[in-house]
Amino acid sequence: MSPKGMLKAIMKNKTGRIGIILLALIIFTAIFAPWLAPFDPYERVARPFQHPSASHLLGTNDIGQDIISEMIWGTRISLSIGIIAAAIAIILGTAIGILSGYYRRWLDTILMRFVDVVLVIPFLPLMILLAAYLGPQLTNIIIVIGILTWAGPARVIRSQVLSIRELGYVQAARSLGGTDFKIMVRHILPGVMPIALAQFIRAVSTVILIESSLAFLGLGDPTAKSWGTVLYYAQTRGAFLTGAWVWWVLPPGLLITFTVLAFALTGYTLEEILNPRLRSAGPHHRVFFDSEAMEKNRG
Amino acid sequence: MLRFWGNKLLQYGLVLLITLVINFSLPRLMPGSPLELLAGEDVGRLTTEERQEVMSRHGLDQPVHKQFIIYLGQLGQGDLGYSYRQNRPVSTIIWERLPWTLLLTGSALVLSSIIGVIFGPLAAWRRGRFSDVGSMSLFIFLDSMPSFWLGMILVALFGARLRWFPVFGARTPFADYTGWAALVDVLHHLALPLLTLTLVTIAGLFLIIRYSTLETLGEQYITVARAKGLPERLIIFRHVLRNAMLPGITVFMLSLGYVVSGTTVIETVFAWPGLGRLMFEAVMQRDYPVLQATFMIVTVCVIIANFVADLLYPLADPRVRAEGGQ
Repeated sequence: MSPKGMLKAIMKNKTGRIGIILLALIIFTAIFAPWLAPFDPYERVARPFQHPSASHLLGTNDIGQDIISEMIWGTRISLSIGIIAAAIAIILGTAIGILSGYYRRWLDTILMRFVDVVLVIPFLPLMILLAAYLGPQLTNIIIVIGILTWAGPARVIRSQVLSIRELGYVQAARSLGGTDFKIMVRHILPGVMPIALAQFIRAVSTVILIESSLAFLGLGDPTAKSWGTVLYYAQTRGAFLTGAWVWWVLPPGLLITFTVLAFALTGYTLEEILNPRLRSAGPHHRVFFDSEAMEKNRG
Repeated sequence: MLRFWGNKLLQYGLVLLITLVINFSLPRLMPGSPLELLAGEDVGRLTTEERQEVMSRHGLDQPVHKQFIIYLGQLGQGDLGYSYRQNRPVSTIIWERLPWTLLLTGSALVLSSIIGVIFGPLAAWRRGRFSDVGSMSLFIFLDSMPSFWLGMILVALFGARLRWFPVFGARTPFADYTGWAALVDVLHHLALPLLTLTLVTIAGLFLIIRYSTLETLGEQYITVARAKGLPERLIIFRHVLRNAMLPGITVFMLSLGYVVSGTTVIETVFAWPGLGRLMFEAVMQRDYPVLQATFMIVTVCVIIANFVADLLYPLADPRVRAEGGQ
């Protein structure tokens, strides 16, 4: 299925349409942040703790930075972390899933055992530990999240590979003497791409939630403020105990929720389209049946 | 059966080993003074003799494999290290905190599974109607929220604004309640964090039980039961619910272990004195021994929870029991 065809199919589905529209809004904000934001979010532009006004729509924070500018620039930060870390996770997951599903036998046993082990390790505490030792640089956070979220996708992609490897064209390539590497890259990989894309979209939503938790615990990069980082400062300054929660605590959380929702809805719809068997349980009903994704989300 | 348990044992053994290796190697591999990374930032305030003591305690003057053996030996004796920040053994600190986390997570799990078990099938029964679609949307929305943010909002509304509940801690400071008054005080403090954790845990349980009920309703034996003329009530209780609960049990058990770890952020919001809050404090103070020990204890909790799930599942599902016996 071509990317254009996928988009069309998603737009036909009500759930998918909501996801795509939200996504478009978020991506637009992330790209045009410099033009949309009225102020530099790292500059002190007014007196601290100001209430919302015409010049500062969401007021100012504890050191006089404009909160709405923080929100707009935060879109860019949260989204980039989500996309890059999810890409790392999916590349790893696809590679391991293909190797495991293609070679089967002992390699499959070892790799899937490893997946089981990784899935049991409590996720957020391990990340907190790693982030505390590595330091709060943006790249560290992205790498840590990326290399710890590949296991679920790897398992999904492996099961797809298991059915693709028995298809006629793969068997034909093999009997014509194609090398394993060539078959995996030329024939298996394109076959799992759509599923990998759906997994990627869903992984972005997981990553954004995890990143917000880490940032909230003070492990975010202070030079690249995400929505979670803003919430961390709001928490340490006790903003949620005063009237300021309406413009300081509410907006970043709503933005996280809607972004997560946008990616999740789009991803699930795409998965349904690619695997019509899921639809037998009724329109968008199987949707949230995925214990692995749930485990990770509970951060 | 034997093979199943052998595999499980191997899996959990590996998880534990990886945890130990991570804990052992992180402070030794990171750039910077291993002494500080092992003992926490407060090591700078120690005297030369005390530093010497830390060195020999971890065997830092010996080869790496000997250090690992020393590390394992200490763990084997229940020695989780020493917090120079708090000036007490880490195990004492952990034992103080663990009951609070178990209280919060335990009650959240019980509450959310009761609600999930009641409303999941109900929603499936009313599939497509307003109450079903409404509760689905609500739970999907809840599932997408950062849990700590939900906690902050609840504190802002019910704590700071309405003043129905205290906003932090597990007990009123300096109140010195005893007996029933103390219990009521703790419950009063427990209300908001419990509500938050329950809401985020229900979402997953509800959606999964609802889905599996729908799936079971489509099974042929349900059609047969209907054709036999069994009363609807009997079909629901005897045939549908029993099967629909199975995935619920799996998810319940999985969340058991990891609700323990997931409370980190919620405990932080409410200053609830559990393991999660301890982890946050340890990060803030760069108290590495406490951070490491907490991570290990949480992992052990998760392994125990998984193990209990493995034990209980065959009791709920006769099919697994039969397969195991062959």
